[in-house]
Amino acid sequence: MALAGYRPEKETVRVGFMPLTDCASLVMASVLGLDEKHGIKIVLRKEASWSAVRDKLTGGELDAAHVLYGLVYGVHMGVGAQQRAMAVLMNLSQNGQAITLSRQLAARGALDGASLAALLRSEPRRYTFGQTFPTGNHAMLLYYWLAAAGIDPLRDVQAVTVPPPQMVANLRAGHLDGFCAGEPWGHRALIDGVGVTAATSQQVWPDHPGKVLGASADFVAHHPNTCRALVAALLEAGRWIDESDANKQAMTEVIASPAYVNTGREVIGPRILGQYENGLGKRWQDPHSLRFHADGAVNFPYLSDGMWFLTQHRRWGLLKDDPDYLAVAAAVNQVRLYREAAEMTGTRVPGNLMRRSTLIDGTVWDGSDAQAYAASFAIGAR
Amino acid sequence: MKLSQHAARSLRIVVVNPVVNEGDAPDAALAAQFQRGNALRIGLLESGFDIVASLPADIFLPERIAQLQPDLIIIDAESDARDVLEHIVIATRDERRPIVMFTDDDSTPSMDAAMAAGVSAYIVAGLQPERIKPVLNVALARFRQEQKLLAELSDTRHKLAERKIVERAKGVLMAHHKLSEEQAYQKLRSMAMNKNLKLAEIAQRILDVEDLLG
Repeated sequence: MALAGYRPEKETVRVGFMPLTDCASLVMASVLGLDEKHGIKIVLRKEASWSAVRDKLTGGELDAAHVLYGLVYGVHMGVGAQQRAMAVLMNLSQNGQAITLSRQLAARGALDGASLAALLRSEPRRYTFGQTFPTGNHAMLLYYWLAAAGIDPLRDVQAVTVPPPQMVANLRAGHLDGFCAGEPWGHRALIDGVGVTAATSQQVWPDHPGKVLGASADFVAHHPNTCRALVAALLEAGRWIDESDANKQAMTEVIASPAYVNTGREVIGPRILGQYENGLGKRWQDPHSLRFHADGAVNFPYLSDGMWFLTQHRRWGLLKDDPDYLAVAAAVNQVRLYREAAEMTGTRVPGNLMRRSTLIDGTVWDGSDAQAYAASFAIGAR
Repeated sequence: MKLSQHAARSLRIVVVNPVVNEGDAPDAALAAQFQRGNALRIGLLESGFDIVASLPADIFLPERIAQLQPDLIIIDAESDARDVLEHIVIATRDERRPIVMFTDDDSTPSMDAAMAAGVSAYIVAGLQPERIKPVLNVALARFRQEQKLLAELSDTRHKLAERKIVERAKGVLMAHHKLSEEQAYQKLRSMAMNKNLKLAEIAQRILDVEDLLG
């Protein structure tokens, strides 16, 4: 029950999502009634494209959405689409995405970044890799991974945007040599016998930021109580998921249904539990698998996370000039609202606005000197 | 061959159609998209528009669009291939092209929202020809206005740059040959005429020589 001073301005909240495993905390917040506990009612809207999610957020057809971190910053900076002030209310999940290479490539020895680079040198032709959205998480992670292996994603290969449902078919047909996307697509490629897992996203950046709860800045400004309630509901849903394998299995059952991810339990179940296989006989229990809360460590809208996407957009020429990295992140990431929701739900809040990470190429990103960081890479647009 | 000479008929349109993935169960949303697409194509043809190509939303879409260079691309608002077009928008952002969507929702707020979101126009399904034409014309008008403004801006910038070059070349001539500004200008003009070059071109040559020897 919402406290009197925090009564939501809007009780019915239309929240968009894409049919991917990491929409789970949003779905469970609705299914478990955690939304009603905080005085709101989530109405879930499944969308077919990230472009549609973006247009509906900025146009007002959706109040909030499960959306790519990179996309939110792209819209805020006016990359491609019309510029619109946006807001990140919280980070929804970390890890759990994957880079898949075709079986044809694996048969020729390309199993990871280094062997892929070797193959590109020994058998030059046009290699094509798919991502889910030009400014999005998967594009940025894929380019980072390629560049870390010495492959220039803009010049040495062709990177294309492909709707995830088409990725596996294109891999089979040989139109794609690999792709980076969320689950179920990585594991689906394995099951269908057309792809192998060359890298998990957590290999590129352990505990990297994932999808966020995004909204237009306008909506947040006019509905702070509603947004706070939404964050609170999602914090509790994430906590519930991470609590136990039993909860994760129950969650798997729910999101596998046609209303949500619309896939078989066996396609998404294993990786939700951290059980990975790479399609070449290697199996492991991943210490950095998909997680939704981790006692609050997942959800805080670290400024350094938002800034990272800005630096990568700059690196690849999506941004023509250096923005004021810190100021933009401070405007987009709704730290104060998040802290209030965290307090309401007994969620631990980190002391710092930035966090420090070491990525696959050994580089450290901690939010400091963003302009220098963006320019520091040997491989980039410039 | 088209019989009429209406301006709208020179508009080259590409329509993007849904793709059915092999092995997928029949999908109500996809069936609806196909229906809307058929109605749209019939409506466009009846209105005399030139559908240059009706393309599947597959992996070859960007290449085909690059080859065809259409004036307008029409795609269903609910299509998952909208993200593919997003990639094209960013890759070709120095050459603006309107992307028009169409859908079942004919509520005016949605149309206003779509316009505000940067979609050039918004077509309503159930498409009678009379309804298509005005909306497409709005899309085209806005596109052409934008192109005109961009061209004017580019032209202005270019002229300004040329002016600066001519001014600097005059300065070089004035310094080297102890000329007045008017004399230097006349010298530039006669050099240009003798060599059959534009003023700005001869000015640039003078500056290049100055860089080499100065």
